[in-house]
Amino acid sequence: MTSSTWTSGCSLIAGRYFDGKSSAPLEATLEFGADGILRLHGLQQPVEAPLASVEISDRVGNIVRRISFPGGGVFETHDNDGVDRARDAAGMKRGLSVVNWLESRWQVAVASLGAVVLITFAFLTWGVPAIANWAAQVLPASMDSAIGNGSLEVLDRVAFEPSQLPAERQRQLEARFRAMTRPLNDGHNYELVLRDGAHGIGANAFALPSGIVVMTDQLVKESKSDDELVAVLAHEIGHVRGRHALRQLLSAAGVSAIAMALLGDVSSISGILTAAPTLLNAKNSRDFETEADNFSRQWLRENGIAESNFDAILCRIAGSAKGDDKYDYFASHPPTRTRAKCPATS
Amino acid sequence: MNESIALQGAGFAAAEPRPVSRVLLPFEFRGSGGEYFRIWIVNLLLTIVTLGIYSAWAKVRRLRYFYGNTYLDGHSFEYHGRPLAILKGRLVVFFAYVAFLVLAQISPMAVLLMLPVIFFLGPWIIQRSRLFQMRMSSYRNIRFDFHGTYGGAMGAFIGWYFIAGLTFGIMTPSWVRKRVEYTLDNIAYGTQRWSFLTSAGRFYAFCYITFAMALVAWLVFIFVVLKPFMFGNIDPQSVPTMTGLLLAGGLKLWLGIFAGAIVGFMIYGYYEASFLNASFGGVQIGSNYIRSRLEVGSLVGIYVTNLLGIVFTLGLFYPWAKVRQVRYQLENTALDSDGNLSAFTASASQGVSAFGQEAGDFFDVDFGL
Repeated sequence: MTSSTWTSGCSLIAGRYFDGKSSAPLEATLEFGADGILRLHGLQQPVEAPLASVEISDRVGNIVRRISFPGGGVFETHDNDGVDRARDAAGMKRGLSVVNWLESRWQVAVASLGAVVLITFAFLTWGVPAIANWAAQVLPASMDSAIGNGSLEVLDRVAFEPSQLPAERQRQLEARFRAMTRPLNDGHNYELVLRDGAHGIGANAFALPSGIVVMTDQLVKESKSDDELVAVLAHEIGHVRGRHALRQLLSAAGVSAIAMALLGDVSSISGILTAAPTLLNAKNSRDFETEADNFSRQWLRENGIAESNFDAILCRIAGSAKGDDKYDYFASHPPTRTRAKCPATS
Repeated sequence: MNESIALQGAGFAAAEPRPVSRVLLPFEFRGSGGEYFRIWIVNLLLTIVTLGIYSAWAKVRRLRYFYGNTYLDGHSFEYHGRPLAILKGRLVVFFAYVAFLVLAQISPMAVLLMLPVIFFLGPWIIQRSRLFQMRMSSYRNIRFDFHGTYGGAMGAFIGWYFIAGLTFGIMTPSWVRKRVEYTLDNIAYGTQRWSFLTSAGRFYAFCYITFAMALVAWLVFIFVVLKPFMFGNIDPQSVPTMTGLLLAGGLKLWLGIFAGAIVGFMIYGYYEASFLNASFGGVQIGSNYIRSRLEVGSLVGIYVTNLLGIVFTLGLFYPWAKVRQVRYQLENTALDSDGNLSAFTASASQGVSAFGQEAGDFFDVDFGL
């Protein structure tokens, strides 16, 4: 819909004038005079101003264009193309018209989309974990204990029984663990907690962010030597020392923040955005397992214990694990065969 | 416009408007999802490559697009925010936030001491941002204004919060209503102040109904859907992600969660529709009244399809979702008018320079109602 006409070097643009004092619209035509004066025709009282003193609004989509006069009056028109032509002919500033040019083209939109996807992917893959690692280094170790605070109490209530191991054996394992962790001196309060996991937990060990490492009686019984248990404990210490829980939390917060920034203001989705980090959880989790494995192997080497202890106990647990555990291992841990050299007969 | 009606009305300015001259003017939204998608993605890329600096310009373009495509009686709205001022405000807020985070690390006690400050700061930020939002909006070259005071915001947002708390939540609907009243009753279009008419009773009704429905839904969800899975096998490997629990639960649990989500959406939709209808639908502007007729079913349909669209396109559907939501809301809102929207006048203080633009821009926070 173009209503501008060209007569002897000047353009007439149809629209409406608002004087800024009342809400009454007045039909008017705008003329970009060759003498550098902008004139409104069709009004009872003529309105005119030098080109340099008026402000033309940036073009966005097809919304009305506003030409603001010094006295507070505004001329509005749908004839965006006419205004652009007249503005260029008069040699006026073009403002953000290049952005409008970009916004008007599907090819540009598709190319922009490609660029945004690439940058977002790269940032999520490398940027967020790197920032999370950096932040984890800056934050004090006391942060870690806050994350897992209370988890042990919950697990004790719903999943664990007190350890059935003889008191002498418990003291022996705790002493071994203390000997392992004393030289670390990294601000964490390491503590070994022994529990009976007969109700569905089985042979297992895991670390809480505060430095508490839980090991089940069943794992102690599966092991063929204390060196095997030390290999598992070193893996769990690797999780605590690497501050994986905090890094996981920070990554998740980073991903949420990005998702929120991109898509924040649609009512129905703000809820789902809090779940967005789970997309990245599995990948982070596998990376952390590998990191903890490496820590364990290195610790064993440095302390003169055969690495084969690590492979042996990992393969034995994986071999005895029930089929339905496969999902979880697949999701949160790398496959056992890539983590350990297992003997052919499992 | 309606010149004959305007002339008829002119002689009876103080009299009750006669029914015959009243017209129902619907709001219209003339933007499209495809067009907004292009604007969104280009501005998103520009924001990313400028490390966020451009976001202030992007915000102004986005708001101008939505204001400019909102039509009433053949005329559109306009947003006047200035990108540079918005950028300054954003930088101040950003650095204040970083300083706060650092302080929280160095001395958690200091944060506790700052809590009362945040308490007093909140209503002030709300008041400033409402003021900014209104003064940056115009229709037919007449600016909106906001007359709410800091004391008013303190009373509505904090005072009534305590009253609601002291009555064990019984008076929460009054708190909800006071917040809406603070926002809407203080708006002026030119010299014409808005009035907020909705009774407290209406707020009590829909708030209590929502609460009752949510309570019943939660009890049913916990005791029928979740209970069989709550105290069974817990695999500590999956405790942080709950993946194991969900996989172990199988089809029955998933169906339960799906049904729960649908019911949750229905309740949320009921609250939203009731809240928006009671809020905007209670506005009187001189002899004009806003009518808001959002329907629960339609609103829930839009929320759910928007959600699915955004999830399954990994966010690409966002611009269409946003446009659908805005369009539905606007097209079910109308102005019950005396037929003469040309008689509003600008307030005397309305000179562009008279607006404390810079100060207001600092607190440019997007607040819904």
